[in-house]
Amino acid sequence: MLLLSAPFEPSAGVPPGPPLRRYAQVGLAAAVVAGVGATIAVGAPARAGIGHGVAVGAIHAGLIAIGWLVATGAAPGWPAPALRLGVTTILASIAARLGPWGPLAFLLVPALLIRETRGRPSMRAVGVDGARLSHALIGLGAGAFLGAHLLITASLTFGYRVHATSGAAYLGALAYDVGVNVLSAEWLFRGALFTSWWRHGSFWPAALGTTALALVRYLLDPALPTASEARAGAIFYLGLVGLSACALRAWSGSLLPGYLAGLAFFAAYRTLTP
Amino acid sequence: MIVPPLVLVAAVAAAMALTGQGSDSVLRHVYLVPTVWAALARGVIGGGLAGMLAGLLHAPFALPAVEREGLTSQTLDGLLALVLPVLAGLLVGRLVDGSRAREARLRAILAIQRRLDGREPLENALPGVAEILRDTLRARRVALMVGSDIRSARLASVPTSTLVDGDSAAAFTLATGQPVTSPDLRGDPRVRASEPRASTPLRGLTLPLTSGAGIVGMVAVEWTGELPQATRVAAAELAAHVGLAVENARLTMRQQRFAEELCEKVAAATARLRELDQAKTEFLSVVSHELRTPLTALQGFSELLLRSALPPEKAHRCLVYLHTEACTLGRIVGELLDLSRIETGRPLELRPEPVDLDALMERNLELFAAEHRDHRFRWTSSAPGAAVHADPDALDRMMKNLLSNAVKYSPRGGHVRVSASPAPDDPGMVEVAVEDDGVGIPADQLPRIFDKYVRVPHPETAAARGLGLGLSLVKALAEAHGGRIEVESLPGKGSRFRLLLPGLDGQF
Repeated sequence: MLLLSAPFEPSAGVPPGPPLRRYAQVGLAAAVVAGVGATIAVGAPARAGIGHGVAVGAIHAGLIAIGWLVATGAAPGWPAPALRLGVTTILASIAARLGPWGPLAFLLVPALLIRETRGRPSMRAVGVDGARLSHALIGLGAGAFLGAHLLITASLTFGYRVHATSGAAYLGALAYDVGVNVLSAEWLFRGALFTSWWRHGSFWPAALGTTALALVRYLLDPALPTASEARAGAIFYLGLVGLSACALRAWSGSLLPGYLAGLAFFAAYRTLTP
Repeated sequence: MIVPPLVLVAAVAAAMALTGQGSDSVLRHVYLVPTVWAALARGVIGGGLAGMLAGLLHAPFALPAVEREGLTSQTLDGLLALVLPVLAGLLVGRLVDGSRAREARLRAILAIQRRLDGREPLENALPGVAEILRDTLRARRVALMVGSDIRSARLASVPTSTLVDGDSAAAFTLATGQPVTSPDLRGDPRVRASEPRASTPLRGLTLPLTSGAGIVGMVAVEWTGELPQATRVAAAELAAHVGLAVENARLTMRQQRFAEELCEKVAAATARLRELDQAKTEFLSVVSHELRTPLTALQGFSELLLRSALPPEKAHRCLVYLHTEACTLGRIVGELLDLSRIETGRPLELRPEPVDLDALMERNLELFAAEHRDHRFRWTSSAPGAAVHADPDALDRMMKNLLSNAVKYSPRGGHVRVSASPAPDDPGMVEVAVEDDGVGIPADQLPRIFDKYVRVPHPETAAARGLGLGLSLVKALAEAHGGRIEVESLPGKGSRFRLLLPGLDGQF
């Protein structure tokens, strides 16, 4: 029992604050690369695809890198695993624009993330760990329920159709969600930020705060439809998905159930056509 | 228990869909039933979950109506039916949780009171109290320490933990009375934890146990995961109660101990009074017998002298007998008067002066040798002609009592050795020792040998005469002279009495 057995120093009471400057540096670097990508994303389709891929990849690379800094305590210097993950994300994003099978390159990102986090106790502390089957199934069920609800409500309310444009496009979108979209959200908002805030406080402030940040990230995503009902729906459903993911992370101790919930929800969302 | 209400919520939604009803269906009110059921069963989590499910399942009915008709009273009613179950579930669940928490706290307080009612020692009761605290607070580990110092305090923990650091948070709270709260013990910079961080935080809380007497102990609690404010408040309330209960238990046990000690003392005093009463009764019997013997002789010989014209030799012999018995009577009366003085606390009248030990001893030994032909008396002195500073009469009575005792308790005859020498362990004092090889005194009787009315029973000495006052008088006289008397004895081997009296300067 640590309260009995561990030495206690009352004077060492104030923990150091988060290294916001490091986060800002990483965010700025990602924004610069994304800006460069956006600049070159004009002209020929190939060039536009590469530029677009660089921009999208840089944003997700920035989210993953900041998550890495939060999870590892932001040691001085540029962490090599975060750099490798960032570069891989950008390259995968470029590759996704080069051909019909290109989006499969996104799958390299979770594979690399698993490899980089293996053997690091601090990663288990943020929830990079296996989950019990029941927890995983409940996460999958929660995401599937919200996704199905989205489909029913959107089709009944706004007349949206449940129809994937093409199999390849649907699979590409799924690969994007598996590789970077849901992964970066779970990694940064649930894994790094929620864990850190929950550790220093209680569940509800941490869950509401990180879900609000995740919503801001989605609302700033240019890929989100601009229609007001779509934005209202995004706030409602992504808020519920985010809070569910936080609850699943706290309950199971793993990021996997929340990640599966996000994937199941987005798998349903990708079938929705206005 | 949470599944049936959720299934009922789904069933209501399915019924509405299958019957083709809209958002204004009367069935929408039925959502409240499973929501309240879930809240009653599982508190705010159950109520919130069921309410949320009801709201979500009602949304496909309510939202299309809003989209079609805009905001009308009917569509607003549908929206209200969407939100109401959520609010009802959360509200009822919160009330249920609060009520259950209060009930649990009251039960815990009663259980703690029962545990700490003083009927069993505190160290036996504390593990049960720690168990109650752990169950009530839904904690992972609980430790309870009672005492003011970390090294000597009694520790009870669930699960059992014996590793205690003198600089731990528990020790800090015990020493200062300040609580320690840690949102995550494994990541708290104040706690030098050897365990790596886990995926869920380990919350920690230490609270002092206080009573009117100050800090009486400390309670340490560790939780895994969420630690609501209500639980923290409950922990503080229970700690306050445990502090008072511990103090009450201590007071109860102290009272019980005091009552037991008092009973023992009263019993001992009663037994002693009975013994004294018995001894006085025996004493009166002995006194009357001791007085009657010389009186009978006095009466007999005086009548003989009065009624008969005896020849001068016989008359002289009668007068000698009369004188002897009168002396005996005088000695008994003298002892009784001394006893009376001692009992009433009046000082014995002494006139100390230098007393020649050789002369005193030779006179007494001659007297005793003449009366007791079966005994051999021997007097030795390490400094012939030595003297002590004492009342001559008192010293004479002391020696006569000691010699009489030696003779009385060696009924088959034997050697009686009297010696004088400087006391080896007490400078300035003279030790006069009277040693016999008689029946001796059992070890358990030695502490009482100088008490009044005490006569050590022995089959061979049962016929010996005496009041049981001799040794107590010797002791009183020795102490009145500033000296003392001691005894060493072995049953069957004999006894040795050491009389220590102040010597004269330059003697020995």
